[in-house]
Order: sequence, then structure tokens, then C-alpha cells
Amino acid sequence: MTPVIGMYRPLRTPMHRAPAWFKVTLLAAVAILVLFVQDPVTSLGLAAASLLLLISTAPPWRPALAAVAWTLLFAVMAAGYQFWRGEWALGVDVAADLATVVFLALAVSASTSMERMLDLASAALRPLRRFVPHETIGLMFALLIRLIPEMVRLLGESRQAAMARGVERSPRAILVPTATRTVGFALDLGAALHARGISDAAAAEADSPLDADAPRADEVPASRRARREAARARRGRTR
Amino acid sequence: MIAFEDATVVAPDSGITILEPTTLTLTERRISIIGANGSGKSTLVRLINGLIQPTSGTVTVEGLDTVKKGREVRRNVGFLFTDPSAQLIMPTAAEDVMLSLRRTVPRRDERVRAALEALEDLGLGDKADVAVSSLSGGQRQLLALAGVLAVAPSIIVADEPTTLLDLRWRAHVGALLRSLPVQLIEVTHDLDSALRAERTIVIDQGKVAFDGAPGDAVALYRDLMFGRAAEGSA
Repeated sequence: MTPVIGMYRPLRTPMHRAPAWFKVTLLAAVAILVLFVQDPVTSLGLAAASLLLLISTAPPWRPALAAVAWTLLFAVMAAGYQFWRGEWALGVDVAADLATVVFLALAVSASTSMERMLDLASAALRPLRRFVPHETIGLMFALLIRLIPEMVRLLGESRQAAMARGVERSPRAILVPTATRTVGFALDLGAALHARGISDAAAAEADSPLDADAPRADEVPASRRARREAARARRGRTR
Repeated sequence: MIAFEDATVVAPDSGITILEPTTLTLTERRISIIGANGSGKSTLVRLINGLIQPTSGTVTVEGLDTVKKGREVRRNVGFLFTDPSAQLIMPTAAEDVMLSLRRTVPRRDERVRAALEALEDLGLGDKADVAVSSLSGGQRQLLALAGVLAVAPSIIVADEPTTLLDLRWRAHVGALLRSLPVQLIEVTHDLDSALRAERTIVIDQGKVAFDGAPGDAVALYRDLMFGRAAEGSA
């Protein structure tokens, strides 16, 4: 299964070329705008425009199609409730609003790399650096997004294991191994972050958010470049 | 130089001693560590970059105490896990290497260049924009290694880095690790790989059972394992 969050591909479409801040601002603005637009025709127009924008990012078709289908299903369900109450115009408006926002969010995620999103989150939170470790918050988003497909995978494996044991009807046989393996994965992830020094960086930032952006004495560009070039030269010699 | 001085690890909950008091000085460039599952190999090597802290005694790397100067030590000691999946966080290969560089390379363009160079060095240049989820197990391990090497450590600790790989990738990753211009401490079940080290340490039931020439170490390890198997079946 290809998760929706893995839809980003490095292409050169107009959406890919647009800066991340512009795309996120556009998404926020449209999300607010649809709340005020209550004309069903205009709402449907916005939904169609969002869908076209999503198509313009040339996302991988399988996950994109699945995401669109799920969105439409929920939109129809939301509209159905309003139709049942006799609110036809409101039903169309609600369904179109939902589709507009989700399609646009998909277009943004399909055209923006995680690195760019991290940079944007860090930059956006920079004014609050006195109170909030902005790099750490960005990293938390990345970890959250990393964990979602992993949980989907673990759930699938647990379901298969339950089927193999003939206990596929027991929720406990699926949920308990999923939960324990998710905790295990989170512990492994934590150890890996620690080993890569990423958690040290976060801890340093939390200790002193104001100074966290400043390179340390041993991290000034000149010495860093020298170290890297020396390492590359050594690698070259050994080949 | 890595120095263990009476380093002991006791499980905080159960009080079971995982690593008996251990004193070692590791100066050789290629050191392999072998032993049965649960013998304490991983605990020993995790002490080197402060992933685990000794209950008593000390561990120092280039004179820096791994508890008091953990951050400095980890900047110099790269760690490679058995399963690279938990080590890879970002959606694409280049982004994951760039994550390692975020703290040390503030400028994005420099970060992109350094990440691409690190991938190119390991033969993953054409995978820079490929989703991590679509890489093979061997490619993921190489990517994890690229993320480690990007920050130019002088020591790499590899905890069974080839255990999950097929024969082809096992040979490739093993050869690559051995060719690196760094000190390599490798925990392994691959006895051929252990024999290629300059020094081999056998860990058995939380203790150093042997420390010396790889040939002798592997012979002792075989005796330990097969002797125990014979006892078990008797």
C-alpha cells in the first residue's frame, strides 16, 4: 500500500515550483473561504478547481485515486445526512467544501517535500523561539507522519498473523500485537534518533532555544567543509 | 580510542546483570564482536555512544565520557542498526540524509549538495528522490549508512548490520563497511565477517569470554555454541 503522505514526487509542475509558504497559505485561505461561501454552484466550482490543481501536480495515480475516492465517499455521506433533512443546497455545499479542502491538501502534499515542510514549520515558529523549540516541533511533525504508514503496516501484519492462527474475528488478537509492536517501533525510532544525534540537537534547542540556531564552535562551515573533504579524500584512497 | 573501565550494566527493573564489569581498550581499526543471542553484545556496543549508560564504571571515547559528554561523543560515533527501517525517518532518500545534516549545515543548498554527495559515494545517487518505502532492504541499509557518514564520524558501531540482508547485499554492505576510513566496531553473527577483523571479542553470558585473534575467537565461539547444543540434547 502506498500511503497518501508518500505522494510527493520531485517534478517541475507550477505547484511544485511554488514556495511552500504560498501553498500552505493558499490552503488556509481556501479552508476559511469555503466556510463563507454557501452558494452550492460556487462551492462545486471551487471543488472542481481544487481537483484540477491536484491533477496538475501529476501525483502517483493509485494512492491519489484512493484518496479522492475516500474523500468523495465521506462527502456523499455528509451530503446524504443534509439531503435526509431536506437541506439540498446545504448538502451540496458541505460535500463540495469537504472535497475542496481535501483535494487542495492533497495537491499541497503531492507537490511539497517533507524537507520544505520542515523548513516552513521551523521558519513559521521562529518568532516564538523564546517559548517553543521550533526545530523540535518540525521534527515531531515528521515523526508523526513517519509513524502513520508504519502503524498501517503493523496492523496489516497483525491481521495476517491472526488469520494464520484462525483468530481473525478476535479484535484482541489483532490490536494487542499491533499496540505492542507500535511501542517497540517507537522505542527503536527513539534509539535511532538518539544514535543519529537528532535528539541531542532537540535537547540542546529545548535547553536554550535562542542559541540553538547558532553553529557551535566545532560546527563552523570552514571546519565542517574541511572535515567532510578530508573524509571524502580518505574514502577515495581506500577504494 | 574507546576505553571501558569496569563498565557494568544492570537491568533497572529486574536487577539482572546484563554486562559484568568489563575493562577493554579498543584501538584497532576493525573489531568484531560475536556471541549468542542475549549474551550482551548489543549492550556492550550501545555503551560506546551512550545509547545505554553504564550502571557503574565508565566508558570513554577519545577521552570523552559517554555519560557526561554524550552529545560530543555521538557527533563522533555513528551507529548502524540491524533494521534500518527505524533509522530512516523522512519520506525520500535525500531528505533523510539531509535530516542528519540539519543541525550542522544550516544552509539548505549546502545541505542538498552534501546529501547528494553522501548518496553518490554509496552508489545511491539515482535513488535521491525515491521513496524510502520503495527501496530494498540492502538499499535501506546503505541509505542508513549514508545518513551516518554524512556527518563524518571517526568511529562507526554496527550492530548486526547485515543480518536482515540477502547474500548479495550482505557481501556488498560488509565490503563497504570494511573499506571505510573509520574505526569499525561490528557486532555480527557472520563468522566470515568476524574473521576479517583485526581483533575479535567473544561475549558470553554478559562477560568477555575471549579477546584476541579472530581465528581463535571463532573457534572458541563454535566450541561454546556446539558444546551447549550437545549438553542440551543429552
